[in-house]
Amino acid sequence: MNQPTVSLIDVSSYLPGEPVGADYYAQFAGSDDLAANLMFRAPKFRHHVGPDETAIDMVERAAHGLIERHGQDVIANVDVLITHTQAPDVPFYGAGGGIAHRLGMRPNWVLDLHNGGCAAFVLGLNVARQLLASGSGHTALIAVAQNAAGQVFDQPGVRRKAQAAVPGDGAAVGLVTLSDQSPILDIECRTYGEYAGEMTLTSDAPRKWWAAGSSELSIGFTETNITKVLARGNRQVPEVALAVCDRIGLLSKNIDLLVTNQPNRVFLRNWREALEVPPERHRDTFDECGNLFGAGIPINLDHAIADGQVKPGDVVMMAAFAHAGDFAGAAAVRWGGRS
Amino acid sequence: MSLTALDDIAVHSGTTEPIQGVVRIETSPLEETAPMFMEKMRSVYPHEEVFGKYCTVNDYVDCPPDELFEYLAHTRSLEEWTYTLRDFTPTDESGLWLAYDRLLPDTKIYTRTVANPEARTVDYHCAWDQGEHLWMIYLMRVLDAQVVLGKPGSVVLWTNCRHEFYDNNPHPEAAPPERTGWVGDFWDLFGAGHGLELNNLKSIAEYRHRNGLPVTPAWMSTS
Repeated sequence: MNQPTVSLIDVSSYLPGEPVGADYYAQFAGSDDLAANLMFRAPKFRHHVGPDETAIDMVERAAHGLIERHGQDVIANVDVLITHTQAPDVPFYGAGGGIAHRLGMRPNWVLDLHNGGCAAFVLGLNVARQLLASGSGHTALIAVAQNAAGQVFDQPGVRRKAQAAVPGDGAAVGLVTLSDQSPILDIECRTYGEYAGEMTLTSDAPRKWWAAGSSELSIGFTETNITKVLARGNRQVPEVALAVCDRIGLLSKNIDLLVTNQPNRVFLRNWREALEVPPERHRDTFDECGNLFGAGIPINLDHAIADGQVKPGDVVMMAAFAHAGDFAGAAAVRWGGRS
Repeated sequence: MSLTALDDIAVHSGTTEPIQGVVRIETSPLEETAPMFMEKMRSVYPHEEVFGKYCTVNDYVDCPPDELFEYLAHTRSLEEWTYTLRDFTPTDESGLWLAYDRLLPDTKIYTRTVANPEARTVDYHCAWDQGEHLWMIYLMRVLDAQVVLGKPGSVVLWTNCRHEFYDNNPHPEAAPPERTGWVGDFWDLFGAGHGLELNNLKSIAEYRHRNGLPVTPAWMSTS
């Protein structure tokens, strides 16, 4: 018996507040050895989560578009809720329960995925597809909130660092159903456990994140680990995308819309080159939104749908890698259009 | 007076500023240079950039380096591990061999092998059609894998340089009359072709070594 077809039928997204310009960081910029590093060449704008805005707030706002187009009932009747929050508001648990409650759902399945990182949306699609195809329900919602830019990266000490100007905040939700309206053609997820733990939190006075102290925690970047991550990302994202292309019988240059995570301009260029996709078919919002981490794929897809960059029948390839290269995923969808 | 690095150029140019094209850490600190390095790291590289002017293929071979060198130093080893060179016979000129490159019909190839056992370099000086000017040079070097990879065996480095004759046959009169193609027409396949031939070499040498056969077969040692 064939597995039932599962579709990504819509996405909607949210960018918090007014755009924050590059001059915001220029005023704080300290002398940072990595200031010239192109991994940290700043976007023109990014958004910052509000001071008291939670991941649940962001997802609720991101879901407005879906509710407008599909009605409150579709959201209320979601069977599977899958969430990812870049910086959980409370580290001991994910936002899934709170999001379900806020959106008025009583799903049978609530899963907070923390390993997906910048590829969290692809991982969410993979889990949703498997659960729906195996009879766990009819509808899944994937909710991704990236909220580190206006919090972790905007601490008074951290925002002086080159790395601080690159991230941007935003959230998105994707609606997945048992239907052939906008079918998920295939998904590849790979875990590279050997690189797990290479993304570290550091501070001037080393301590555990929960331990008392006045020093600020930031991501531990050095020239040498950046080089390794660059090499891994260069390799992994094309590899997973090409694995999907191979299975669905698609030449990568025929991808109608490529949507990747967007850590910096160099990755965007390298992935396009590797997949032979021209810039006009690779959606990025790097200069408006910065590095959106896991929210990048669904936010960019939402923008591409909204302004007609992707049309019904087009094959959309989503691909990303996470953290220092410990996870990568790609998913292809034949976009069915917004009805 | 003690000489230091690049002093002669500083004296000649009248400045300690680096001359164009020279990037050294004294005048270009790593934090300035690293972004340039990283920008050059890509997922893929254009074929022309990788194989346009020089064609290099390398591989590990599980066979002792001196034995592999000795084998390669025999011109007639080409009869075994190349894809298309066959029917090697000695010419009247000492060390110069005639064979046929079956890539195209009736195509003669002349080869003289220059080998240096100390460096384990084997250079095949070849040419299609005529043996007067051997301009197709296949530069090979066998390394001791124990030294470079920390394990027994060999590493083979192999480079060809794109001599201008690859693009223009200097001796069209020497070509067989019916032949329309030229060796240089295949330049862009050299990466793949030499990769295949290097894998032939690896497969043959590893088979012999693994099974206790002489890496250089008896027929090759006797002329």
